Amino acid sequence: MTVKIELFYTPGCSECVAAHAKLRAIAQESVKDLEWRELNVLDDLDYAVELGVLSLPSIAVDGELVFTSMPTATQLREVLIKRTGANA
Amino acid sequence: MFTIGKLASLTSVSNDTLRYYEQEGLIEPAGKSPAGYRLYDTDSARRIRFIRHAQNCGFMLAEIRELLALRGRDKACCGDVRTRAVEKKLQIEGKIRAMKAMSKALDQLIGECANEGQPVNECTIIAALERAVPTPVQ
Repeated sequence: MTVKIELFYTPGCSECVAAHAKLRAIAQESVKDLEWRELNVLDDLDYAVELGVLSLPSIAVDGELVFTSMPTATQLREVLIKRTGANA
Repeated sequence: MFTIGKLASLTSVSNDTLRYYEQEGLIEPAGKSPAGYRLYDTDSARRIRFIRHAQNCGFMLAEIRELLALRGRDKACCGDVRTRAVEKKLQIEGKIRAMKAMSKALDQLIGECANEGQPVNECTIIAALERAVPTPVQ
């Protein structure tokens, strides 16, 4: 089953770009069937508000807001493993 | 250098508000007069204009304090400030959505009230509010 990860961000933070790449790599390692999307919050404002995004970066997994700040590698891995375990 | 009264008239902010800003650490006097009165400089006036403008954009004083700190931080970049502005916009958009939901709920109640001449104990709005199960506001 595909796991959809949506990372809401706002452009302009060079540190964030590096962190996004790292999180994406972790997600790819943890989930076989991954859909990774990076959403500029201003381009998808309505959707972000609908999910309850209030701070940046925020991460939604399968349409549910899970992280409201940048997670550590371990935190992201744990959430994904739990989710793929539940889907298995 | 200005007294608090002069600063108040320069910035169109009351003395009490300026004292509150000082209490909250948003401004601080640059010195004291020989008579012991607190004196402020042009940077205080600039900070007050910054605070007022930020308040007009929906920022709370605690958030303004962070913005002022960012302004003076060497490592901070424009992107940090922009992120806070975008987050504030998200909060405001969320509130607008919640308010619209409330307005819609009121429309429904108003629409259900067919006879405004009924006694209050037969008021359909009151009855609807009494039986309504609260749902979380999005």
